[in-house]
Amino acid sequence: MSKTTIKNEQNFIKHKPYYEPVGDEVAVFTAAYENQLPILLKGPTGCGKTRFIEYMAWHLKLPMVTVACHDDLTASDLIGRYLIKGGETVWIDGPLTSAVRHGYICYLDEIVEARKDTSVVIHPLCDGRRLLPIEKLGELLEAPSSFCLAISYNPGYQSVLKDLKQSTRQRFVALEFDYPDAATEEAIVIKESGIDEPMAHKLVKLGHMTRNLKGNGLEEGASTRLLVNAGKLIHSNIAPVHAVDTAISQALTDEPDMFQAVHELSRSIF
Amino acid sequence: MSNQSRQNLLYRIRIQKDLEKVVGPALNRLPNLDTVISMIANLNDPQQVFISHWAGLIADSNTELAAHFISFAPKAFETMIDADVQKWIDLFLKNYDNHGLGKAITSLEDISGFAIDQKNKSVRCSLQKTSLFLQHFIRGLGGRELKISGNDETYTNTEGLFLPESISLFPQPKQNFTVYKLTAAHLWAQTWYGTWRIQVLEKLTAEYNNQKSLNIFNRLESIRLNYCIARDFPGLSREFSEFENRDPKVVALWKLWQDRANGLRSPTATAIDTIENIQYFLDIDLPVLQPYQGEIFLDRIRETMLSRIEQEQLAFQRSLDKLRDDNATKDEADDDDFVAKQMLEVSDGDSGDGEPSETNFQLTLDGQPIELSDDLKNLAGSIMQDFGEIPDEYMDPMEQGEYSDALLAQNGESEGDTDPDLNETGTFQYDEWDCTRQRFREDFCTLRELVVPPGDESFISDTLEKYRGALRVIKKCFEAVLGESRPQHRQPDGDDIDLDATVNAHVDMALGKDMSDHLYTKYRNQERNVAVMFMVDMSGSTLGWVNNAERESLVLLCEALQLLGDRYAIYGFSGRTNKRCEVYSIKDFKENYSLEVRQRISGIRPKAYTRMGVAIRHLGQMLQKTHARTKLLITLSDGRPEDYGGYKGQYGIEDTRHALLEMKQSGVHAFCITIDSEAQEYLPHMYGTANYAVIDEVEKLPLKVADIYRRLTT
Repeated sequence: MSKTTIKNEQNFIKHKPYYEPVGDEVAVFTAAYENQLPILLKGPTGCGKTRFIEYMAWHLKLPMVTVACHDDLTASDLIGRYLIKGGETVWIDGPLTSAVRHGYICYLDEIVEARKDTSVVIHPLCDGRRLLPIEKLGELLEAPSSFCLAISYNPGYQSVLKDLKQSTRQRFVALEFDYPDAATEEAIVIKESGIDEPMAHKLVKLGHMTRNLKGNGLEEGASTRLLVNAGKLIHSNIAPVHAVDTAISQALTDEPDMFQAVHELSRSIF
Repeated sequence: MSNQSRQNLLYRIRIQKDLEKVVGPALNRLPNLDTVISMIANLNDPQQVFISHWAGLIADSNTELAAHFISFAPKAFETMIDADVQKWIDLFLKNYDNHGLGKAITSLEDISGFAIDQKNKSVRCSLQKTSLFLQHFIRGLGGRELKISGNDETYTNTEGLFLPESISLFPQPKQNFTVYKLTAAHLWAQTWYGTWRIQVLEKLTAEYNNQKSLNIFNRLESIRLNYCIARDFPGLSREFSEFENRDPKVVALWKLWQDRANGLRSPTATAIDTIENIQYFLDIDLPVLQPYQGEIFLDRIRETMLSRIEQEQLAFQRSLDKLRDDNATKDEADDDDFVAKQMLEVSDGDSGDGEPSETNFQLTLDGQPIELSDDLKNLAGSIMQDFGEIPDEYMDPMEQGEYSDALLAQNGESEGDTDPDLNETGTFQYDEWDCTRQRFREDFCTLRELVVPPGDESFISDTLEKYRGALRVIKKCFEAVLGESRPQHRQPDGDDIDLDATVNAHVDMALGKDMSDHLYTKYRNQERNVAVMFMVDMSGSTLGWVNNAERESLVLLCEALQLLGDRYAIYGFSGRTNKRCEVYSIKDFKENYSLEVRQRISGIRPKAYTRMGVAIRHLGQMLQKTHARTKLLITLSDGRPEDYGGYKGQYGIEDTRHALLEMKQSGVHAFCITIDSEAQEYLPHMYGTANYAVIDEVEKLPLKVADIYRRLTT
């Protein structure tokens, strides 16, 4: 039986990710990390949760393992399983086990998407015990002090099925994220996409307009990520209205009336 | 008489006889029968067949109308293309269905009006088609929620935008659509760029409340607004100039006005400056309004604003009081004085570029910034739209005990007129399929949603007692459904190694055969993702045993469904005529199986007739809105669809069938459970051969229903 490991350098964030702090989130994260507390990042899609955790991984100089959760994610997918190679069975560590073993940051993105039973396996890791039981190996893995568990979730989903259980959420230090204020968002769009300031101003204004429509035909307004995407297209010489249509309007909605509304809003700005 | 004319005469007599056959004696009452017949004789064969076919169908509804149709049909073919003739028939039939013979004949006779209308339609853009877009568009622009509605006059009262029902100013429908957008945007600009600040309203009312001054104000303000729009929305501004009046005289006059009022075209100009400019324009001609400009009705704005301001002040103060309360500790909260003395302050963050913004202000309580709820943010935004700031007195604590009922109505919390027996929650219009005409009768059915009044709860406990044994069996069956999460063997990947498969694979390998790679076991709970709508027949015929059995079935089902965790709703349906179709809410998808629901089940009573199509359309739509992989519409019924006034036999069955087909196309599975022993005759046609169950004995219904449900969903 052999144990495979994830190569360290693959998970190191080599370059400083661009992140614009909006409050004291860096300090809070660092404090939580030092106290070995797991962290929950709340916020709408595309507001910078993943970028923040990358930034923190770089800041704390730790390798990071990211798992994008989906509704078929099982406990074995996180912890590991036996595979057959030739005539033998081989144990393969899952991403969570690997992160615990080596003391990395483990980031479970969109945890609510995972099956309910899956999110329970992280419970013993998230309280004072900091243990990961691996039943199939008969092993009880104790997390080293450098290990850090972070999960993210979007409270905007209205489905009751996509809610985080109390027993899970009450083990975490929660950091709330929202779209940054207009000035910060403009700075982000400029920095990420390379467009000039007046264009970024218009994009951010459009972003706010679509956020006005949230709950009235749109499930979510345009996220900072979408604004950056549109900015990148504009920077590559796509006409602004067309860039917004493809990067924002089409991404936000399939409904013709709503698409037209967003389209006309962008036409009125550019 | 020549041979030719004899032929013609015979031909005409044949046509007349044919038409008499379908319409009857009414035909002979036509004053100009001979002329009509010879005109019909001059039409081509397909047109003649068309007339006779439709005359027959219309005569089924009303022979008088059919005779009228015959007398006008030749003219219709003369003035319109054939497709429009069909639309003309649809229109007067719709009027007959919904408003009676008189209205039908009026619209039938107005052929030329209809023809012009039809022509206009190709360029016209209607509010009905654009209102959803406009609502999104205006909401996106920001500010207070503005309701879009149709009106003969174009204006805003600061809470709604009133736009014409249709626009056909330009030859292209797309251009007319743009005029809608621009008009709405221009009216929105009035509410956004401070045309209707309270100070402006007061000043206008006090000094310039006459039509001439208001006309001048409207045009001057439009110059200011166009400047603001050009600054913030260059795209919109370009379109404004595209759609402006091109008449050289008008252009010159507007230019003169713009030059004279140049001071208004600056970031610091306000509507007060506009008012002060009025005096300089009293002596020159008024330019005509641009296509996108609305009018100004000072009294309507005043009325709306004053009542809103009062309500919003109360609501705002109450919210702040609550904030103070929430922030005080318990002991402090008991001390009214302390609570009142907490210092709330507001600071508006001006964005600096002259652009109004409702989100840029910060509320502080004793120096600490407070996070505001969305509601309070909107409220403050609306107040800032009226005042340009939050007035100081708004920050004061409310006087004790002050309370306004008017506010409740605003928030939609008022009870309204309530029937003590039935709470109405809304009315809806639905089309009905007419199999004889092979088309929909538009908006033919009016359906109301009512709530079943609570009944005696002892019925529930009695039922549970009566079926105690049976319920245990049912529950066991349902639990078995849940337990069906057997491991899936021989999977290409999975949670565990499938030892049997591995051993077999090794044997195969040893024998030199291909080795399967399906060596894993997967554990999957087949997650249930079912939403089911129970549609219960509440027609008069269910009186007695059937009604009891239906109620008992529902009780047992609910008990069992609680176990499965499936989402389910229960509605009853009944009605009398197309104008009074009713569905009765017993349990909606969001509700739990609560005491009220139990009481409502017990309160189900037979009502009137069974108009099934409209109920299926309404409840099916509700079902479609749920997010479930499997959507099931189960009808509990005691007979075929039947209603007062023609909704019976083939007509009723075909409408119901059509409604079910519509549901099927949108992914809803329909199933019918009935106790009608003759159901074999029509149910296979309506629901499809495998989608119904006939239960011979009423007493068995409760047991069977649960069983059928289990079979259906596993």
